Amino acid sequence: MKLIRKRRNGYALLLAASICLTVWLGKAFMLEAVFAFGATSLISLLLLVRQNRLLYAARLICDNPILAVPSALISMPGRQMKKDTEETVVSTFGILIGSKIYRWGLDGVHGVRLSAVQIDKERMYLTFGDASKTMRVELLHGMPGKQAILDAAQKLLCETGVTAKIIN
Amino acid sequence: MNRFKTLNARRLSVAGFSFLFAYILSFQFEGQVLYSLLNLRGTDANPYIMTAIVAHFMGLFTCGLFVKSQTVAKNMMLGAMGLCLAATIPFFFPPSSLWLVGLIVSGYFSGCAVAAWGFFLRAYTPKNEYIKSCADVLIYSNLLMIAVNVVAMNRSTFIGLGFSMLCLVIGMVFIWMLPLEQENEQNKAFKNKTHGGIKTPLILLCLFVFIITINSGLMYEVINPAFEHLTRLVSWYWAVPYIVALAIMRNLPMKAKRSRILYMGMAMIIGAFISFMLLGRNTSDYLIVDTLMLGACGIFDLFWWSILGEMLDYSDNPAQTFGIGLSANVFGVLCGGVLGMTLTSIGLPSAEVAVIALTVVCLTLVMLPPLNRQLVLLLKNHTYLTAYDNMNQSRQRDIVCQIKTLDPLTPREQEVLQLILSGKSNREIAGALFISESTVKTHVRNIFSKYDVGSRAELISTLLKNQRVE
Repeated sequence: MKLIRKRRNGYALLLAASICLTVWLGKAFMLEAVFAFGATSLISLLLLVRQNRLLYAARLICDNPILAVPSALISMPGRQMKKDTEETVVSTFGILIGSKIYRWGLDGVHGVRLSAVQIDKERMYLTFGDASKTMRVELLHGMPGKQAILDAAQKLLCETGVTAKIIN
Repeated sequence: MNRFKTLNARRLSVAGFSFLFAYILSFQFEGQVLYSLLNLRGTDANPYIMTAIVAHFMGLFTCGLFVKSQTVAKNMMLGAMGLCLAATIPFFFPPSSLWLVGLIVSGYFSGCAVAAWGFFLRAYTPKNEYIKSCADVLIYSNLLMIAVNVVAMNRSTFIGLGFSMLCLVIGMVFIWMLPLEQENEQNKAFKNKTHGGIKTPLILLCLFVFIITINSGLMYEVINPAFEHLTRLVSWYWAVPYIVALAIMRNLPMKAKRSRILYMGMAMIIGAFISFMLLGRNTSDYLIVDTLMLGACGIFDLFWWSILGEMLDYSDNPAQTFGIGLSANVFGVLCGGVLGMTLTSIGLPSAEVAVIALTVVCLTLVMLPPLNRQLVLLLKNHTYLTAYDNMNQSRQRDIVCQIKTLDPLTPREQEVLQLILSGKSNREIAGALFISESTVKTHVRNIFSKYDVGSRAELISTLLKNQRVE
């Protein structure tokens, strides 16, 4: 989340600077430069809006944590990639892996939704997606006992409506 | 016996208000008597008319600040009507500064008296019969106004003024005879359960009323001067279509769709402006234009008066709610009048003025159906939430379970929904569940999506359709 915030602040600064430059150059009638910095302002505005949305989603995820773990393995049909990060948060509304966000349950019945959860002694498998794409995240959950696993499953059911399958 | 008492009190209340309103319509608020007096003395009417309207607006708007009980409302009505009576006396004499003072005093206090009547409208009108009470006062006051106008325009302006004052005296007698009713505690508690207040529906209603009455203001300034030469006919026929429309609306069955009537009114008002542009300026043309225009005004007026009446059931201070609602009407008339005056003062040919007026009318009328929809949804929401709160918990749970969703709600969403149905705001829900407000907003959005609705009001409306509220 820190990274997302940093990026957001960077884009905000870029926007402010490019607007100032556009105005200043506009006063000096340097039209080419005005167009260039005008375009920069527009692009940085779009990036800022996008980053703001990401930050909002990240905050939402951090506000509603179900589980925080040290690492995650993300798999998609056809390719696999591993990501070890300092911050992985599983929440009611998605998963935050470092600065990467996978959202679910944010756009009602038509958006990305969490479809299945499996938990074994060491790992948790979360499957989510929409009609066009499905993804699977594998986590080393680090929960010490069965009770902790049951508690997490209960919380998942309450918050997301998905019943976790617990594998012994 | 109790029912008979209420019926009697209702009649007294309607009679008292009708006479007060007849005075306002015939004299104080752009009344024919006032216009005739100003014309007779050769005085510029605009400053007097505008002063009276602004003072009336102020009276309506501020009355709720100091009238907070039925006893005070009754005293206010009697005192205000007495002051109006005194402030009208200078009009029997040549123009002086007392005329302006008189209009300010009578304008302000007649506004207060009208707003204070909100207490009696609520107390003596059975549920779902606001449309009848409102229609009655509008019909009777307009009939009285016609009588005063006919006398003022065909006999003597001063006799007309005397009749206006007589209306005020008779109104005072009826209000004086009006019994005071002690509201029981249970009823009071029910009314006070306002679920975030009726602020939003009231603001929406005010916008609705404002838009409707801009058209009335335009009509006063654009259409009326064109038929000034038909003095005799105008003196009695002017408000007849209005009264007929009110009488028809009053006797419509309860299940009649109000939105269809609203569309009919819109068609009539547009028809009136088009006829005004295409037809001439003789008697039959006047009959067509006035029938369409005033008929539409009757439909619109009763429409919003009855909604305002229904709102009183959920108001802590009926004088305030009633006064603010009516002040939106006065403000609309004022703005429409200024707009009309600006249009006519530019010196454009009358056909062009009519086209511009028609354009303004069409633009404002386009906004009415969506506003009406929102207003109805908000009122349903309000009615339902109050009924929901009075149910026991198992029945509340049943309601939520009975309605089909596109996707099952999660346990957390069910908790949020229960709190929405208890009338809690997002902030209150966040506090109750110890979660952030943005989390609540996301849950609420998801709930809307699962019920396939677009707003809280629509969600409540869906519940209302599926569940018979007892």
